[in-house]
Amino acid sequence: MQSKKVRFITAFAAVACLLWLFGLGWTVNDYLFGTNGASAFPVSDEEPAPASDEFKIIALGDSLTRGIGDLEGKGYAGYVSDRLKQAGWNISFVNLGIKGLTSVQLAEQMKEMEIGRQIGQADAVLMTIGGNDLFLGGQTLSNLTDEGIAKLEDEYLNHLEVILGAIQASNPDAAVYVLGLYDPFGELEEGAVTSRVVRAWNYKTMETIAEYANAVFVPTYDLFQQNVSEYLFTDQFHPNEKGYQRMAERVAALIIGTGGQS
Amino acid sequence: MSDITLSVKGLRKVIGKRVIIKDLSFELKRGEVFGFLGPNGAGKTTTIRMLVGLIKPTAGSIHICGLDISKQFTRAMRHLGCIVENPELYPFLSGMDNLRHFAVMLSGTGQERIDEVVRLVGMQERVNDKVSTYSLGMRQRLGIAQAMLGRPDVLILDEPTNGLDPSGIREMRAFIRFLAEEEGLTVLVSSHLLHEIQLMCDRVAIISKGEIVRVDSVQALLSREERLVWRLMPYESGKSILSNRTPILNEEEETVTTVYSEREAGEWNRELVEAGVRVLEMNRKLPALEDLFLELTGGESID
Amino acid sequence: MINLVQNEMMKLIGKRRFLIISVIIIVLLSMFTYAQARHAETTRERLGSVDWRTELQQQIVDWQNRLSSAGQWREHLQIQIQQSQYYLDHGVNPSEPGAPTFIRGFVENSAELFLPLLVMIIAVDLVSSERSMGTIKLLLTRPVSRFCILLSKYIALVLSVSLVLFIFGLLSYVISAMMFGSQGWSAPVLTGFSVQGGELDISGVRLVSQWQYILQQFGLAWFISMVVGTLSFMLSILMRSSAAGMGTMLACLIAGAILSSMVSSWDSAKYLFMVNLGLMDYVSGTAPPIEGMTLGFSLAVLAAWMIGALAVSFAVFMRKDIY
Repeated sequence: MQSKKVRFITAFAAVACLLWLFGLGWTVNDYLFGTNGASAFPVSDEEPAPASDEFKIIALGDSLTRGIGDLEGKGYAGYVSDRLKQAGWNISFVNLGIKGLTSVQLAEQMKEMEIGRQIGQADAVLMTIGGNDLFLGGQTLSNLTDEGIAKLEDEYLNHLEVILGAIQASNPDAAVYVLGLYDPFGELEEGAVTSRVVRAWNYKTMETIAEYANAVFVPTYDLFQQNVSEYLFTDQFHPNEKGYQRMAERVAALIIGTGGQS
Repeated sequence: MSDITLSVKGLRKVIGKRVIIKDLSFELKRGEVFGFLGPNGAGKTTTIRMLVGLIKPTAGSIHICGLDISKQFTRAMRHLGCIVENPELYPFLSGMDNLRHFAVMLSGTGQERIDEVVRLVGMQERVNDKVSTYSLGMRQRLGIAQAMLGRPDVLILDEPTNGLDPSGIREMRAFIRFLAEEEGLTVLVSSHLLHEIQLMCDRVAIISKGEIVRVDSVQALLSREERLVWRLMPYESGKSILSNRTPILNEEEETVTTVYSEREAGEWNRELVEAGVRVLEMNRKLPALEDLFLELTGGESID
Repeated sequence: MINLVQNEMMKLIGKRRFLIISVIIIVLLSMFTYAQARHAETTRERLGSVDWRTELQQQIVDWQNRLSSAGQWREHLQIQIQQSQYYLDHGVNPSEPGAPTFIRGFVENSAELFLPLLVMIIAVDLVSSERSMGTIKLLLTRPVSRFCILLSKYIALVLSVSLVLFIFGLLSYVISAMMFGSQGWSAPVLTGFSVQGGELDISGVRLVSQWQYILQQFGLAWFISMVVGTLSFMLSILMRSSAAGMGTMLACLIAGAILSSMVSSWDSAKYLFMVNLGLMDYVSGTAPPIEGMTLGFSLAVLAAWMIGALAVSFAVFMRKDIY
């Protein structure tokens, strides 16, 4: 072995050693004794993504949007996107659903800059909200007083207005599809009561939505009215694949009906 | 500088409660080959490792060319070359790189000296090959070359002929004699083979259970213990004639063993012949190490 | 002394240690870059868009969905979400595509286990291999003090660690640049996040260039590797076989990785070296395993372990009898 080679490698390693020592020193200096104040952030002046020929769908809302209960994890929103793709549409799809989300949390989420930016680029917004407000933890069911429900409804409707207002502000052109509630407890003992509550809830939702030109109320109550267990997941609350498919069918039909013009 | 190159005084090693080495003392002179003889486990290797600084003695002192190795280790080691047990070299490096590696650790040893020792052990042809391709004999030679690099005054070789073939053993013996006689080195050789020691050494120390039993010149030691084996015909009368002259030490399968005496053996023979006993065989026999041991240690057997 | 160090380097090169390490890095890197490229591809397929904001938003939402079932990771996840949200709000792409970003992520992920493992390959038999080969007898009967011999070995270790880290950086740059392109050295990175009581503190957040961030990361990775290397070095002296040393060190590293995720209530565990190896987390702003640990604290603990290991190494080596 040439001692030249050894000498070269040794010298090289020594240089590398100094480099890393410098890096370590810099880190220590920066993080332990760092006094360099927060440097100014560059204002992000990126142009919004150029309008592409993609049809952009944003899904907002709770576990239904997320797709809980669907073994494929797509949820109705995923199936809508699938159906449109099958119909030959060029789809860009973002699912921002978070399970357990209530209307107040969604209203909060709407304040995020990035959400606003994304909605701004969207052609269609899909949304399920309110289910958690009404059914949260099943507590409401056990003490179904009319006053209690009325209070929940009022709060919910206020938030819904905030949400829809925010969407309209970000993007006055996007079509907003708000899916109504179904009654998963229709076949239980208290079914008659819960059904009445859900129907009233849906009605008021529809009334609120009517004030926004681009918003469409998509009923789901009827889809789960008959033979409900066939379309529910084993938790008897969330829809299963079949249930989601039926919901998606409806929404996709509505979107296709617009011909991509919003 | 005095003639004494290696001096050991009161060397002692205790591990736990066991005394491994008990108060060894000896001195080696310039130009002599000194044998260290003992069975396995007698403490040869431990002693040698103390001499070369691998093991710290519990008590006693070791001086190499007048330098105490516990106080002036690096200066003392400058005068020492050694192979402890097998010549273990780096198998993944070439012979040359191995020598360079060790030369770096000896100040003032350059490429010329490396070439010189390579020639000394006759390794010119293979020195650039990897050590892993060497035969044991070649490794042994490279080991010697390595030990000679620093022009040592004292060379310590632990079992230098271990694992060598007969011709290799002969070469090694000649080489060791050459180093002592021509180069004036002091060579300390350890072995458990008496034969080995007899052919190589000027003086020998016999060590058993961590103690030196005897230090003497090889001649003095061996002649005292040499035996003569007789095969006689007729056996009984021959035996009785011999036993009148000298004690019978051993008797087996029609042979009689007596001590060997240069002065008297001829006389005994003449008497037997005159008495009409035919001497079929008269064999001078070197004592086995085992016999020597039994003799010197008073019945203590080799472990 | 320089010559002695070169001797040690010659032996390491002769043993093809650096070659073996390079091959390991190349194999793993190819796998990681490929996985990363595939991941990017599937994300693109799923989202139908390549805008990083969309991607990050999706990531945040995915995390939010995991929050309720996250258990003990909940806090960790929340901090991650807040941090990503901060990136999003300030228009800074946390993963600007390109080789430098890949290196950044790769170093961050390999600093605690992978790099120390590579270093161990070298450190763990620096001394014990001499013993098992028997060459230590030749080494220690030279007119050189044992202190110098061990020091030269340690310096060789320091150099080797540096070299391994450099090879690591170079290879990851070359391989990932082929996959993702080489752009992005000056991309902005947000740093200075700190976690106080499970809350993300953004008061110290500042913007640095990616190359600066990477250099700092490598500095920390070097330090971590040095600590592990020094400890392996000590084991190499204490233990006769390289395998035993390797096993012990490996057990420590893995124990550290497991402990880090569950020691939050065992306070004194913060003095163990293996819990402190996550130096990168302080810089990237992830919650430390035990409340109250800081970069300075961890550096001090690791340095103490390193000095202790060195002291033990030299004390034992200089006294040890070689049989």
